[in-house]
Amino acid sequence: MTIKIACPTCGPRPYTEFSFGGELRDLDAPTPHEDFVRVYLRENAPGPQDERWYHAFGCRRWFQVTRDTVTNRTGA
Amino acid sequence: MATIDFEGKRVPLRDGDTVGSALYRAGVRTFTRSLKHHRRRGLYCMTGDCPNCLVTVDGQPGCRACTTPAREGATVRRESGWPSTERDVLKITDHLHRFMPVGFYYKVFVRPRWAWEFAEKIIRRATGIGALPMGQAPRMKPSRHVHTDVLVVGGGAAGLAAAKAAGGTGARVLLCDEGVPGAAIAPGAARDRVVALARELDAVSNVTVLAGHTAVGVYDGPLVPVVGPDELLQIDPGRVIVATGAVETHAVFPGNDLPGVWLGRGAARLAGVHGVAPGDRAVVVADSVEGILHLGTLKAAGVTVLAAVVPEALAEAVPTDIEVLRGAKVLAAEGRSHLTAVRLSTQQGERTIECDVLTLSVGSAPRDGLLRMSGDVSVCGAGEVVLPGCSLEEAEASGAAAGVGAGEETPREPDPVAMGVDGYVCLCADVSVHDLEAAWAEGWQSSEILKRYTTATMGPCQGAMCGRHLAAFAAAGAASSGAGARTTARPPARTVRLGDIAGGVNEVIPKHTALHDTHGAAGARLDWSGSWIRPYHYGDWRGEYRAVRERVSLMDVSTLGKFLIAGRDATALVDRVFPTRVTDLTPGRSRYLLALDEAGYVMDDGLICALPDGRYYLTSTSGGADRMEAGLRNWADRFGIRAHVMNQTAMLGAINVAGPHARDLLAELSDDDLSAGAIRYPGHAEVTIAGVPCRAVRVGFVGELSFELHHPRSCSVALWTALIEAGAEWDIRPHGLDALDLLRMEKGHLYLAQDTLPDDYPDKLGLGWAVAMDKGDFIGRSSLERMAALPSERKLVGLRFDAEPQRGVPLMTGDRIVGRVTSCGHSPSLGYGVGLGWLRSVDGEFPSALTANGVGCRVVPTPFYDPEGARLRA
Repeated sequence: MTIKIACPTCGPRPYTEFSFGGELRDLDAPTPHEDFVRVYLRENAPGPQDERWYHAFGCRRWFQVTRDTVTNRTGA
Repeated sequence: MATIDFEGKRVPLRDGDTVGSALYRAGVRTFTRSLKHHRRRGLYCMTGDCPNCLVTVDGQPGCRACTTPAREGATVRRESGWPSTERDVLKITDHLHRFMPVGFYYKVFVRPRWAWEFAEKIIRRATGIGALPMGQAPRMKPSRHVHTDVLVVGGGAAGLAAAKAAGGTGARVLLCDEGVPGAAIAPGAARDRVVALARELDAVSNVTVLAGHTAVGVYDGPLVPVVGPDELLQIDPGRVIVATGAVETHAVFPGNDLPGVWLGRGAARLAGVHGVAPGDRAVVVADSVEGILHLGTLKAAGVTVLAAVVPEALAEAVPTDIEVLRGAKVLAAEGRSHLTAVRLSTQQGERTIECDVLTLSVGSAPRDGLLRMSGDVSVCGAGEVVLPGCSLEEAEASGAAAGVGAGEETPREPDPVAMGVDGYVCLCADVSVHDLEAAWAEGWQSSEILKRYTTATMGPCQGAMCGRHLAAFAAAGAASSGAGARTTARPPARTVRLGDIAGGVNEVIPKHTALHDTHGAAGARLDWSGSWIRPYHYGDWRGEYRAVRERVSLMDVSTLGKFLIAGRDATALVDRVFPTRVTDLTPGRSRYLLALDEAGYVMDDGLICALPDGRYYLTSTSGGADRMEAGLRNWADRFGIRAHVMNQTAMLGAINVAGPHARDLLAELSDDDLSAGAIRYPGHAEVTIAGVPCRAVRVGFVGELSFELHHPRSCSVALWTALIEAGAEWDIRPHGLDALDLLRMEKGHLYLAQDTLPDDYPDKLGLGWAVAMDKGDFIGRSSLERMAALPSERKLVGLRFDAEPQRGVPLMTGDRIVGRVTSCGHSPSLGYGVGLGWLRSVDGEFPSALTANGVGCRVVPTPFYDPEGARLRA
């Protein structure tokens, strides 16, 4: 499997150059329960998902990517 | 004369021979025994599609004899049947069908349960597949990434035309073909045209033709792995054009698997390309013009064609000396070990013709596995794979259109397949029409579950021969339309060796410090430690241990993660990310650093040093450097903090000078003030040692007076050498990881991942003191607050043993397991065994008197050695 990921610095590159940073999550939550959900629970839903990716074997930049978890197609 | 060794006999070769053609010329007719029924199988497709000719070539099992080039001196063995493929006593299974019903795996030997253990061994042995070469390391091919604008799979007329057209637009084009373009095509206009096209492409610089390269799958992306003779290519194309053509339709009737029954192109290829007559007397079944052409090819090779079974429209095209059977139908092929006669239904009634060759050109089955497994819009088909049965001109036109990216070809539905009253649908797994009917009657009534139950389409051919038959069978009986769909195509589409799949995975690039060769020259045992190669000892780890505790020693710690944090918001970044208090850290001071994740779990530890002008110098563990960098960059990005993170791991070396005489040694090589007042523990200073500019960092990992000298990597050897020379006065010697393990354990220092688990938060590790809960927010804070409310159930403790301890053993109270020893060893300085281990609370309390594999031990506070830390603060 290969996913092409468009790095804002380097352009589209194969996903093997990147580290996956997981689903995009909030930085904090208003209540302890919501914080628990924020930290431990993942949506893992089919369809488009906002994710964090890190160009580890490239420019080492973090950025957000929208990936369809069913088709692996990336981009807005 | 060139020969190959075939089961001890020398078989002569001619130019262009494949293993199959050479053996056939030498009289070999049975190439394999079938999987279940041990029926004789011989050459059939000659294109590498069917499973009938799998042999072992030079120890490699599962080679297709029909397409494997015969190399001078190669050894070839057949691989199925016992005691041999020719005389196989297991052929008895052919007469025991009722004991091996479809799905017999699920039915036979189910009871008694113990029987399966024995039966399985016998069954596995009996199945007609080759033996893996044991005791021989797999030949792993290197892997290479290739980027190209257009990838064309298949070097037939359509593929070559596509490559030519795409090349004409200036695109970079790669074309891969399993063999050599044209070589697998039976003689005639198509072969000539393909050879001419291939020659044309030789002259085009932006088109590369890779012969002997097999595309095995199309993955999302698209990514196309291509297995070449010497390497695995991972091709990353802009567009893929699948031009894999078609195999002739496998006809199903009783006896359809007998040696002597051929696909038309197979027989023609053997006769026309290799000059080997498939037999003496042939019956030819041809539904197409191409099939008629084969008549001449067979005749030229010396085969007498007794009769041609053709549709009315083609009757005129058959040469007059051959009997024409208009619209006849093959009912059965007869013969015990080889075809001896064909039974036909003709307009004049049933008729049997004695012959030893039956060729079948009854339609075209697209090799569409690659096309169907890809959902990607940038993958399209050209030629016979989408237009089964198309003419040469149509194939070329379709390729040319695909090459320039013109509108996609709508796949043309191939002619429906017809099945006789019986016969083998799936040659790979010996699934007959009767088997499918039996499975259907048992309720397995869709193509997908028929496939799983009967294993049809799951063999080496991956449904190339039988996929459409299975779907047609299901469609004919099914109530719903979905039940008769083709089964899902998945990679690999072609046979792949394990060594090919593993291509490139063994390519780990070891990291060396600048002192690698110096350690080697000093007699170090160098080995992997994470991704680094590091010294474990220099011949005498106990002597190295004593050097640290009693005199002075060096260790190469260049592998530590080293980071410079700079920029306007440098303090804000480290303060927001780490649980360590940093705002009161004045230049020249250092502090132990913990890195947590959002769940509050300890990811890494290290040291933070405050530099002048608001910058920070961070160290992390050797294995955690990349994670530390990624984490810092992530949080800087997410919080919008304006700070630079510079990973200096590779540009800086680091040497730890440790031992009671560490300061004495450095003083010999430096004019700087190294006193406890000038560089306090924990603190750091910029100094010059032996002419090398160093950041000297006071650290306490080994529990003695220590200075970590961080310096430009290019100076590592000079600095190390100067230290060793000046240290002769104190009988200096370097220490490796073995000595370090005991040194740090005596201090109760943990190794992350060895002594910890992925879900350890600081309190569990006794590191609560390193978390400043009274400062502002940091990563993991909310989780630590949440966990603080939970009772402590498990913690890492120091252990003192009564006798020689063992690592990894369970800790017990009575007969109850309450923990585990994670690190331990005999301490020469203390005279008893010490260690670290996990302990679980029992009824709300942590037990203190334990046994570890029979050795008594008790929980004691750490550090074991120099608990006040007087030595390291010296």
